[in-house]
Amino acid sequence: MRHHPWLNILRIILVVVLALLFVFPFYWVVVTSLNTSGQALQYPPVLLPHGQFGNYVRAWSGAPWLRYFGNTLFIATVTTLLVLLTSLLAGFAFGTMRFPGKSLLFMAFLALMMIPQTVLLIPDYILLQDFNWLNTYWAQIVPWGASVFGIFMLRQFFLTLPSDYWEAAQLDGAGRLYFLWKIAVPAARPSLITIGLYTFLGSWNSFLWPFIMTNSAAVQPVEVGLSNFLGTNGTDWTGLSAAVVYTTLPVLVLFLIAQKQFMKGMYSGAGGIKG
Amino acid sequence: MTGKRTRLEAFQAYLYLSPSALIFLAFTLLPAFYVLYIGLFNWNFLNTSMSKFVGFSNYTALLKSPELWHSLIATFYFVLGSVPVGIFAALFIALLLMRPFRGLGLVRLMFFAPYVTPVVSTSIVWLWLFNPQFGLFNAILHFLHLPQIGWVQSARWAMPSVILYTLWHTMGFNIIIFMAGLTTIPSELGEVARIDGASAWQEFWHVTWPLLTPTTLFVTVINTIGALQAFTQFFTLTNGGPAGSTTTASFLLFQQAFVFYHTGYAAALAVLLFIIIAALTLVQMRVSRSEAY
Repeated sequence: MRHHPWLNILRIILVVVLALLFVFPFYWVVVTSLNTSGQALQYPPVLLPHGQFGNYVRAWSGAPWLRYFGNTLFIATVTTLLVLLTSLLAGFAFGTMRFPGKSLLFMAFLALMMIPQTVLLIPDYILLQDFNWLNTYWAQIVPWGASVFGIFMLRQFFLTLPSDYWEAAQLDGAGRLYFLWKIAVPAARPSLITIGLYTFLGSWNSFLWPFIMTNSAAVQPVEVGLSNFLGTNGTDWTGLSAAVVYTTLPVLVLFLIAQKQFMKGMYSGAGGIKG
Repeated sequence: MTGKRTRLEAFQAYLYLSPSALIFLAFTLLPAFYVLYIGLFNWNFLNTSMSKFVGFSNYTALLKSPELWHSLIATFYFVLGSVPVGIFAALFIALLLMRPFRGLGLVRLMFFAPYVTPVVSTSIVWLWLFNPQFGLFNAILHFLHLPQIGWVQSARWAMPSVILYTLWHTMGFNIIIFMAGLTTIPSELGEVARIDGASAWQEFWHVTWPLLTPTTLFVTVINTIGALQAFTQFFTLTNGGPAGSTTTASFLLFQQAFVFYHTGYAAALAVLLFIIIAALTLVQMRVSRSEAY
């Protein structure tokens, strides 16, 4: 393959065609969102947009989107901060401190990843019911406030942090928390950004959990709101497409801004695997 | 003094671990046992104190019901239809992307973008593409003079439709993981093979593929677990239908627990699902480990 330049050109053409197929659904939803419903239902299909921004106005007024977006933003932000805090503390303890039962506890934390989410839905629902947390922000934040992935990643980072740092800080009379906050956190920034991005994205995109644990628009996130909107406006394809565009756009923009960190997170996640 | 200091250090460490540990304890570990307990009851959703202990009868009822076996068939249809195809297609694309060219970064982004999108949102796009009367897919089939199909609205094509969406949504993740795996393979090995006169295919089969085993294993396990738990695309695209053709075990669990409120029965199903996921994961690890040596 590598000997023939024309094979290389063929390879690039194939890759580009495949990539275009992958982003085509994005193009198509934008086209549909900007056409009249007559154009959307027409055969042969109308392949270009026609500036029908009214679809966006109609879709936006059809549901309390501002509320949904506010809820999602709040839930995703607080969840992310909580995960960063808990992972930082636990990763710091596992990576730099000595205490009895350390490796056992670490294995136990890793083993938790084996328990699938689906299995926990029923007991967690009953538990949240007992806490009187159903249909609240709490139910959507606290259970997701710790992350094995985050702890694992920060532990790996702290293991590589030279112990002279801590010894020097001790000579200056610094306490552990001071050291963690002033020296370890700035050094761990790349890991924290990766963990934060993935947590934020996961929280923003979550559906099944909030769908089951909440029932009022006052606390429901965008994805649950969109699912409700699909239920009530299921045949308004141009309006639905508009709603899809503005519910997907924030995530895609975040992804484009932070693509380097996303890719790095994937690579480091994959780097953890050894045969 | 040293003893005091180590005790202080241990105390501090436990303190730092406690927020994570408490959250895991409350929402993961204890619930994992709680679900075993709930499965032994005819659980009363509205008034827990009215729940009746029924031993293993939820399990016997479950194993006797045809809906369980239908859902397991649907589950394995979905897993076998999405995981192997997804892995080989992703590996193929990753191999195509391994030699840099101008625009590689953009192309990689294009493949990866679907993975970061929320499933409800992009499922709606595909619902529209799949629409039997007005959707683009049937328009293309019509244009090509091929018979049109019912996609998500036909019992026969609903599962392939969901698989198609799922492949689109997860492919980018698999491609990136494979690319990461491929970069860890020392290029000298390929060069040696080439000097020995190996063809591109021989080089792949005797050098790349064996060395890629840990990555392939990782991708297989992650995808299988993900497929066994998939829910949102089923909920949005087919809602388990038509005629139950896409009611997988995870979807059945949701239905039994949160639509019909058969809580104890659904808990038994959750336990069964847990066992299946754990068993499949162990088998996959065992198989690929024995293949590696």
